[in-house]
Amino acid sequence: MLEIRDLRVRFGAFPAVDGVDLDVAPGEVLGIVGESGSGKSVSMMALMGLIDPPGQVNAAALRFQGQDLLGMSASQRRRLIGKDVAMVFQDALASLNPSYTVGHQLEEVLRTHLGLRGAAARQRAKELLEQVEIPDAASRLKAYPHELSGGMNQRVMIALAIACSPKLLIADEPTTALDVTIQAQIMDLLLRLQREQGMALVMITHDLAVVAEMAQRVAVMYAGQVVETGPLPEVFEAPKHPYTAALMAAIPEHNRGARRLQALPGIVPGALDRPTGCLFSPRCARVQPHCREARPDVVEGVRCFYPLIEESVA
Amino acid sequence: MNAAPDKSVAAGASAGTAPLLVARDLARHYRVSRGWFAPKATVRALDGVSFSLAPGKTLAVVGESGCGKSTLARALTLIETPTSGDLRIHGRDAADASARQALRRDVQMVFQNPYSALNPRKTIASTLAEPLVINTPLNRAERRERIEALAAKVGLRQEHLQRYPHMFSGGQRQRIAIARAMVMQPGIVVADEPTSALDLSIQAQILNLFMDLQEEFGTGYVFISHNLAVVEHVADEVMVMYLGRVVEHGDKRRVFAHPLHPYTRALISATPALRPADRRQRIRIHGELPSPLKPPTGCAFHQRCPMAIARCAEVRPELREVDGRLVACDVL
Repeated sequence: MLEIRDLRVRFGAFPAVDGVDLDVAPGEVLGIVGESGSGKSVSMMALMGLIDPPGQVNAAALRFQGQDLLGMSASQRRRLIGKDVAMVFQDALASLNPSYTVGHQLEEVLRTHLGLRGAAARQRAKELLEQVEIPDAASRLKAYPHELSGGMNQRVMIALAIACSPKLLIADEPTTALDVTIQAQIMDLLLRLQREQGMALVMITHDLAVVAEMAQRVAVMYAGQVVETGPLPEVFEAPKHPYTAALMAAIPEHNRGARRLQALPGIVPGALDRPTGCLFSPRCARVQPHCREARPDVVEGVRCFYPLIEESVA
Repeated sequence: MNAAPDKSVAAGASAGTAPLLVARDLARHYRVSRGWFAPKATVRALDGVSFSLAPGKTLAVVGESGCGKSTLARALTLIETPTSGDLRIHGRDAADASARQALRRDVQMVFQNPYSALNPRKTIASTLAEPLVINTPLNRAERRERIEALAAKVGLRQEHLQRYPHMFSGGQRQRIAIARAMVMQPGIVVADEPTSALDLSIQAQILNLFMDLQEEFGTGYVFISHNLAVVEHVADEVMVMYLGRVVEHGDKRRVFAHPLHPYTRALISATPALRPADRRQRIRIHGELPSPLKPPTGCAFHQRCPMAIARCAEVRPELREVDGRLVACDVL
């Protein structure tokens, strides 16, 4: 349904996204995980056309349901996105307009994309709030975002996103700012909506456990590249890329009883110290001389010259 | 104000060693305005919390936003005076003005956000030297020696000391913040969500640093976090809070292996698990935290609790010992 080939986003000399290939099938849940600066958010923003100059976006192909997004004008793209593709962000309060009521913002979406007006729009807005399990929906329509809690605002954001029954929902760290019990509620809600509406869901997060519970497939990103993709739980149980393996090993859950965690040394390369070889080579425990000279391509879902085979960290 | 029965002896506190810190019925209430003519309301941000901390041990405080864990941190670091209750550090009463100055030196803090916790105009060396200048008679050479030794321990290189905070990554800054907390060789460090702003691979480095320093100096940690996986790793004892009160407190292994309070159970079951085998039957709790301005009668959790009975709405449960830990629930 969604096809991304060789997506590149540059801010000046810094390649924030450096050749990303991704596919999303209809109705699937794909998790994109990575640390800060890995390019997971930027790549999805680029897909949505949300990268402003001086950021530069290039791709070999960017297709949604067979339509070429690259060839479209800005207004054509906007009509498609927002209706068939919707996005939910981490900070719901900052993403909602503080000067309008929740009801007004919902009705605006319904008017713009579906042509609903007046009582019909109000009725639909109320139904949407009920769908995202906001109690007392009718009176919440009159509430301003600042009158609602973080969890409630995130529900409103999700209601806005599903207002036009999108075929693809991209959720960028939708639960990161929320408490654990509220996070569990929002995860359940997203999965229920995904099932009921048969939409595809892309979950962007740094939390491996959230992805492990929600997604059928995962893409692990590092320094602007996808380093490993594959089905879950296989990728987490037997990671093939040394970075995925190191991430799994660093998790407290995998160090039960040990006093020290298996930490991954060093930090993600910045604009000035991007290695010429494999981007992970400076931190890799299995690095070979060849890794420092050439960049590996993705082979069978792994971007590594010497992938781990039949080794399990679990 | 409210007389909770005396439960100062925490479950699992190691006997034999004198505790570094003993809190008894600690409370911090805030008077908040609700408008020009409305009478002021009282928020019981911290409402009768008792525990003790032994040297070289870690007490983890767990709870969601609004449970009072940060208020507790401010009370323990003597930044705020408790409304009522008793706080003793090294056996000395923290309310005693003459002891306060000395005790402050012995309780240091590491904050969540390493970006705002360091003075951007000071080099790392002068940030680390400041507590020594103020609190010790050490001369310049002695201070330098102490700072360089400490910097090496937290994984900073000599040349880093002359740099400014903006030249460091988040993980490096957190190392600097930890070094600043440790420079006075405090008995107690209060860490408020010290790794939640950091990436996973950096989190592991910082947690290891905390463990190494504790082993070397025997520091007692009060480790505040909402991340249960981190807590399970670092803690000796766990204290779970809800709306300003402790709902469950005991040995980490006991609490994680067999949580008793319905809120603890919900919290643990709501935490996503990486491995399918670790996933627990999810206990769904509905709704959100009630307003601290209008806390529910009886048990603060009863409106969201799957086990609540009629009595829970009327009588507030007090902590009592069940299966080797303290639990505030009357239904068990």
